[in-house]
Amino acid sequence: MSDTILFLLVDGLTNGLVYALLALSLVLVFTVTRVVNIAQGEYVMLGALTLADLLQGRMPGTLYLLIGGLALCAILDVGRWRRDWRQASLYTGGLIVAGIVALALTRGALALHLPVIGMMVVALILVAPLGALIYRFTVHPIPNATTIVFVIISVGVSMSVQGLGLLIWGANPYPVDPIAAGGLMMGPVFIPYQSFAILVTALLAMGGLYLFSEFTLVGKALQASAMNRLGAQFCGIPVNATGALAFLLAAAFSAISGMLLAPLITANYEMGFMVGLKGFVGGAMGGLIDYPLSLVGVMIVGGLESTSAYVASAYRDVLVFSLLIPILLWRNTRSRVEAR
Amino acid sequence: MKILSVAAALAALAISVSAHAADKPELRIGSVVAMTGPASALGLPEKNALELLQEQLANDTSLPFTVKFITYDDGSDPTKAVNNVRKLITEDRAHVVICCTTTPTSMAILETVTQAKVPNVSLALGQSVIEPVKERHWIFKTPSTDQLQVTGLVDDMVKRGIKKVAFLGLEDSFGEGGWIAMQSVAKAKGVEIVASERFSRTDTNFTPQALKVRQSNPGAVYIHAIPPSSALVHQALKRVGYSGPIYHSGGSANNAFISIGKQDVEGALLGTTPVLVYKDLPDSNPLKPVITKFAALYEKRFNVPKVDIFPGQSWDAGNITLKAAEEAVKAGVKLDDLDASRAALRDKIEGVKNFVGVGGIFNYSPTDHLGLDHRSTFISVVKNGEFRLYESK
Repeated sequence: MSDTILFLLVDGLTNGLVYALLALSLVLVFTVTRVVNIAQGEYVMLGALTLADLLQGRMPGTLYLLIGGLALCAILDVGRWRRDWRQASLYTGGLIVAGIVALALTRGALALHLPVIGMMVVALILVAPLGALIYRFTVHPIPNATTIVFVIISVGVSMSVQGLGLLIWGANPYPVDPIAAGGLMMGPVFIPYQSFAILVTALLAMGGLYLFSEFTLVGKALQASAMNRLGAQFCGIPVNATGALAFLLAAAFSAISGMLLAPLITANYEMGFMVGLKGFVGGAMGGLIDYPLSLVGVMIVGGLESTSAYVASAYRDVLVFSLLIPILLWRNTRSRVEAR
Repeated sequence: MKILSVAAALAALAISVSAHAADKPELRIGSVVAMTGPASALGLPEKNALELLQEQLANDTSLPFTVKFITYDDGSDPTKAVNNVRKLITEDRAHVVICCTTTPTSMAILETVTQAKVPNVSLALGQSVIEPVKERHWIFKTPSTDQLQVTGLVDDMVKRGIKKVAFLGLEDSFGEGGWIAMQSVAKAKGVEIVASERFSRTDTNFTPQALKVRQSNPGAVYIHAIPPSSALVHQALKRVGYSGPIYHSGGSANNAFISIGKQDVEGALLGTTPVLVYKDLPDSNPLKPVITKFAALYEKRFNVPKVDIFPGQSWDAGNITLKAAEEAVKAGVKLDDLDASRAALRDKIEGVKNFVGVGGIFNYSPTDHLGLDHRSTFISVVKNGEFRLYESK
């Protein structure tokens, strides 16, 4: 019996950390751009499948998405040529260079047969810019839209990206190599090394974000636009650039979580959405604005998920998502107290 | 005036009929499969096999009729399936309809074919497509069912002296089908179900369910799912220290299962159709030469390393139709008379006995529109990363 509890605890914690990276992405995006990004989970899928492709020596389909996205960016910018051809040619040139760099990087990585960690970095470089591209296509053109419009748009993005995933990779699951194979017997409980890798990487990512936003100028700009968008704009902070940066960083965090998760559950086109939603439930605990509370939230989600799957497996998702109701009630009473 | 035009039409008809009578009559086999959409992994091989059959028949003059194949795509969508089946029946005037790839699409067209009185051979797994037989007068199917496969596996458990089984299944219609089959078979064979746990394809953790199963202390575990989750649940059971036999449904009988589960799924037992293990069958088994021939044809034509179960299902459906049509024409049925020949074809399909196909030996009857029995289900075991035939002790 005691080993059962240990198993549930370890798995709950591991999953909680995966969701934590998602919650982090959601909070980051929401505070900077006011977008409740339902599509956040899709970067999990993109990260995992890109890594799977790279490890099996195939050209990742993400590369086509990236180059296609860059091309679309150039097309959307076409109006600027008449007004300011210097800037426009510089911009288009930059996009072309970015595309070539991505292609060269992928080719090089495939030729060199990098180890898993190296491939993870390459996959990250391919997936993260997609976040910024999606910001450019869906949020940038309508900066003053209401939150609900952004929610609806993000649902659309989620469906489209998942559809593209199905188109590119098909419905088959891809096995992905872990960072380190095998595991450790801790008492009666077998813990795969991958779980430790998840712990370390998640902590590193969170610490990195903290240091970045506290101690760099760009990070401070990010914070400023999160606190007061209009004020930041008046201070000369390019809020559109910070928005794109927030989307890029969030995509990077989610992709990392996908790459860490994939060796445990394989990579497939529909893996992201559920993970994204569970990260969302955790993030709701902090009202999508509070990092530490969101972390508490995802740990509760991870723990509840693993215990409810044990106690009543048919109802585990129902229980996890029902958690939203008490969380929202609790937040409501809290905000009322604050308002007073 | 009216009488005159009717007479003229009749005369024209008579001329056209007599003109055709010199040639062989034409048999039109219409089919609707999922060439695109989520079920295309099943539908495309099915389409391929029909194409192969058509090519084989092109050089074959022994049949007392010519065969025309009309194939449409339903995009895995029930509405599209119904529309295309209507088109087959009214515009293309098909004698037989082979449709559809999935259970939802096959259920959707039941009404259409039944009202039009057209025999239908389904390629779907679900038993509800052909049962109750009384209401499914016009419907037959070729793929094996959950019920049949679970029976084979539970028989093996009984032989090993296992009294308690734990069920682990997907929480969708596929898993539900397995659960219903397991409940009825276990009851009939006197095996107790001590745990029933559910999971979904998008879950990230399967250990809690595995722990619960281990705690119920079963003699065997049955997993009704498809990869990746079936392989991941298997791994989770190993991880929590369960060491008894683990049985799987036919849904796991593909290469993804082994490439995901790796050494953890060694020794896994799977209910399967003969296609997967035909090479290990004794030469005396009548299925072996039929499958060997089909596999060689299919693998050469479509350049695949190893044939899977899906093309065989439409291949059988096509061949059963041809056999029924041959007998009907020999018995004097005129294929030009659409309504009468459709009804006659249905009766002849129902009368098919001991037909050795790729999916098994078919014996249709007025009470059985599946036609398969224990001779067509096998258990395969994962041995050194390959599916081999498992000899029941």
